[in-house]
Amino acid sequence: MNMMQVMQSVVWAVLLWPCLVSLGVPLECKDEQGSIILCASISKEKLLDRVIQHAELIYRVSEESCTLFEEMFVPFPMRSQRNQAGYTCATKAFPIPGSKSEIQQISDKWLLHSVLILVQSWIEPLVYLQTTLDRYDDAPDTLLKKTKWVSEKLLSLEQGVVVLIRKMLDDDMLTTSYYEQGVAPYALQPEVLESVLRDYTLLSCFKKDAHKMETFLKLLKCRQTDKYSCFLH
Amino acid sequence: MTSSDPSVQAPHLTGCKSREQETFRCWWSPGSFQNLTEPGALQIQYWKKNDLTKEWKECPDYSSSVKNECFFNKNNTVIWIKYCVRLHSESQNKTYDTLCFELQDIVHPDPPVALNWTLLNISRSGLNYDIMASWEPPPSADVSVGWLTLVYEVQYRRRNSSHWKVLEHEFGTQQSIYGLQTGEAYEVRVHCAMRAFNHFGEFSDVIFVHVPEIPNKESTFPVTLVLIFGAVGVAILLMLIIFSQQQRLMVILLPPVPAPKIKGIDPALLKNGKLDELNFILSGAGMGALHSYPPDLYQDVPWVEFIELDADEPEPGEKDNQSSDSQRLLGHNNHHTNHGCFHGLSIPDDDSGRASSYDPELPDQETLMLMAALLSCQPNKVDTPSLDVLEVPCPGLQAPDLPPEGGERHLVQTQLGGPQSWVNMDFYAQVSDVTPTGGVVLSPGQQVGAPENTPTTKKDKKGKMEGGEEESEEEEERRTNKLKFQLLVVAPEAGGYTTESSGRQMSTPDPSSPGEVYHTFPPPSAESKPHQEAYLPATTLLGDYQSPYILPDSPPAQFLPPVSDYTVVQDVDFQHSLLLNPPSPQRSPTCSPQPPSKPLPVMPIGYLTPDLLGNLSP
Repeated sequence: MNMMQVMQSVVWAVLLWPCLVSLGVPLECKDEQGSIILCASISKEKLLDRVIQHAELIYRVSEESCTLFEEMFVPFPMRSQRNQAGYTCATKAFPIPGSKSEIQQISDKWLLHSVLILVQSWIEPLVYLQTTLDRYDDAPDTLLKKTKWVSEKLLSLEQGVVVLIRKMLDDDMLTTSYYEQGVAPYALQPEVLESVLRDYTLLSCFKKDAHKMETFLKLLKCRQTDKYSCFLH
Repeated sequence: MTSSDPSVQAPHLTGCKSREQETFRCWWSPGSFQNLTEPGALQIQYWKKNDLTKEWKECPDYSSSVKNECFFNKNNTVIWIKYCVRLHSESQNKTYDTLCFELQDIVHPDPPVALNWTLLNISRSGLNYDIMASWEPPPSADVSVGWLTLVYEVQYRRRNSSHWKVLEHEFGTQQSIYGLQTGEAYEVRVHCAMRAFNHFGEFSDVIFVHVPEIPNKESTFPVTLVLIFGAVGVAILLMLIIFSQQQRLMVILLPPVPAPKIKGIDPALLKNGKLDELNFILSGAGMGALHSYPPDLYQDVPWVEFIELDADEPEPGEKDNQSSDSQRLLGHNNHHTNHGCFHGLSIPDDDSGRASSYDPELPDQETLMLMAALLSCQPNKVDTPSLDVLEVPCPGLQAPDLPPEGGERHLVQTQLGGPQSWVNMDFYAQVSDVTPTGGVVLSPGQQVGAPENTPTTKKDKKGKMEGGEEESEEEEERRTNKLKFQLLVVAPEAGGYTTESSGRQMSTPDPSSPGEVYHTFPPPSAESKPHQEAYLPATTLLGDYQSPYILPDSPPAQFLPPVSDYTVVQDVDFQHSLLLNPPSPQRSPTCSPQPPSKPLPVMPIGYLTPDLLGNLSP
C-alpha cells in the first residue's frame, strides 16, 4: 500500500506541477536599478488594481476591528460619539479636501502623494496600538490578529504606492517610509485621557483614513479608464 | 431624550441620513410639546469641524415637501469631517438634541433598480430549479467613479411565508438562488449598503418568481436507471471485496476441520512410524508441550504391534537405534530419561555392555517416552541422573472400555535396571488366561496396595529429598517391602506363568473389573534414595491414578504374597520370548519374598511363548 500511495502522490505532483509552479513563482520583479521593492515589471493597471485591493481590505479590516473594540471595551453611551464633538483625529500636515467636487479636482499626483502620506503616518501608530492592545486583559484574539494584519498590509501598501508613484508620475525621488510627522506617540486630545477611549479614537481615525485611501485610489483608477466621466460628476 | 413621562416626549432629532454620500438630510420631531408645533419654533443648526468660526449655522434648506426635514446639498457637505447638528429653539434658547456624525457614516444607499430574474436550470426530477437574480445599482450612487462601493443583500421567501431568507452579501450585481421548488411562488428583493458600514438602505421592489410544474413522464426512467446502476455498483463492490479477501472469507465460511493430532507432535510422524523423531519429541524437545495423550491413541499406534514378537534379531549390544522394536521397547537403547511420574518405566541400557536383554541399567529413554506418552501420561522430569525411570503420571485417562481379551493391548513393561528395576508402571496387564491360540487374556489385576494418603506426602517430598528423609525412607521401605511381596509376581509355578488363582492368592484381585488393571511395580530396593523417591511417588500416586489401566478399587490392607495376577515383562530374550521374571542378582536382595519362586527358566513373565502354552495349567 505504501508503494501505491507514493505512486499516487507522484502522479498528482506531476499533474499539478504547472499549477504549483505558477502559484509559487511570483511576478517578475526585475527592477532597472536593482532595488528590491515590489515587482516593478508589473503593468500600471495591474499594480493599481492590487493597490486598490490592498486598500479595500485594509479598510474593511479596520472597520471590523473598530466594531470589535467598540463592542468589547467602549461603554454604550460613548459609542458612535453621538453627542460628542470632542474627539478628533490628528490633522495631517496638509489639508485633505472633503467634498466630492473638490476631491475630484485633485490631480493624480496629489492623490497619490496623499495616499502615501496617509499610509506612512499610520505605520507607527498601529504598532503602538498593538502594544497597547496587548495590555488589555480580555482583548479578543481576532482583534489582535486584525490589527497585526493591518499593520503588515500597510507596509505592503506603502511599497505599492511608492512603486505606483514611480511608475505613474515618473517620480523617483521618493523613498519608502519617511515620516513627515513625528507620530511616535500619537497626538492625543487633551480631553481624552482614558486609554480605552484613546484606543477607540485611534481605531476610528484609522478607519476613516483607510476610507480616504480607498476613495482616492478608486478615484485614481476611474481616471485611468475614463477620464471624462470621472471628472464630470 | 425621553422624559420620565412616556406620554410627554421632548423634541428630538430622529436621524440624519445620506443617500449617496454627497447630500444628507436630517429630521426631527417636535414631540408632544404643544407650544412648539408651529413651524419655525425649532431650528436645526449645524456646525462643521473645520469651520473657522464656532458658530452654529442654520439649516440651509428646510424641505418644503417633507415636514421637519432639513436638507444639506452637496455644496455644504464634506466627508471625513465631523458635523454636529442640533435642534434648537431660538425663542427659548434651548437645545433639545444634538447629533454629531461624519458623512460617510450615515450613508444609506438607495435601493437597487431593475431587479430581474432568469431561470438557470431545472432539476431532472422537475421539482427544483435555480434562478439568477440581477439588478443594477441605484442611480444616485456614484459607483462607477468609485465614490461609493456598495455591497448587496438579496432576500427571498415564499409567497405566503413571513420569514425572509437572507443570502450572503454580494459585491456584484447578480446573485443566484438555488433550490426553489416548482409550482411555488416566491418573492425576491434586494438592498444595498456602503461597504464596511453596514447601513443598509431601503429594499427594492419585490419581484415574483414562479415556475410551473412540468409533468415529467419520464420520471420513472431515471429512477430505474439509478436502481440498476446502484445494484451493479454494489455487486461490483461485493465482487471486489470477495476477490480481495478470498482467503479470509474462505476461512470464515468454511473453517478448516482440525485434524486429530497431538499437541506438539506432527501426526505425520505417527503415521509413518518415525519413532525416532517421535521419541525425540516426546523426550526432550517437545516434552513441555505434550500434555495429555488420549488413551485411544494407543490403540492405533503401530508400535504396539511390537508386542507381537517380530522377526527382528534382538541384539543386546547394539547401540544402533534401529534395533528390534521389542528390544527398543524394553529399553535396549541408550536413551533414558527420568520423570517424576508415578508410572515408572525403565528400560535397560544397551550401552552398558550387558549382553542380556535384561539390563538393569539405563532404560531406553525413547521407548520409555513413547510408552509413557502413549499412555497419556504427563511426564514430570525428575532430575536423578542414575535413575532411568520413566515415570509418567496419567491422571486423565478415560474409563476403561477395553475388552478384556485385548491381548494386544497390554503393554510391555520393561525391566528396571538395578535398584530401580521396579518401577511403577501402569501398563501392565494381568494375564488372567491364555487362549488356545496363544493369546494372552488379560484381566484386571491386583492393585498394588499403596495407601492413598502416603502417596501425596511422598510426592510432596519427592522434589525436596531432604528433611525427614530418614523417616520417609523407612516408610518407603516398609511399603516397598509390602509391595515387594505383591510384586514378585510371577513366581510362576509353570515357568513364569502365574495363574490367576495364584495371583489371587497374593493379592485381592478384582476380576470383575472389566478394564485392564496395571500394577505398578514398587521399587524393589530401599537402597537408593533417589530411586525410592522416584518410585514411591509413582506407587503412591497409584492410588490416585485414574488411568483406565488401573483400578484402585481394592486397596489391599494386608501384606500379600507376591502378586501373581499380573505379569511384567522384564525382557525379551533372543528367542523373542518374554522374560517375565528374569533372575537378577541385583534384584534378589531387594526382592526378599520370593519363596514361591522357583528357579525359572528364562521365560517371559506373564507372557507365554507358544511352546509354553502347553505347560500351562489354568
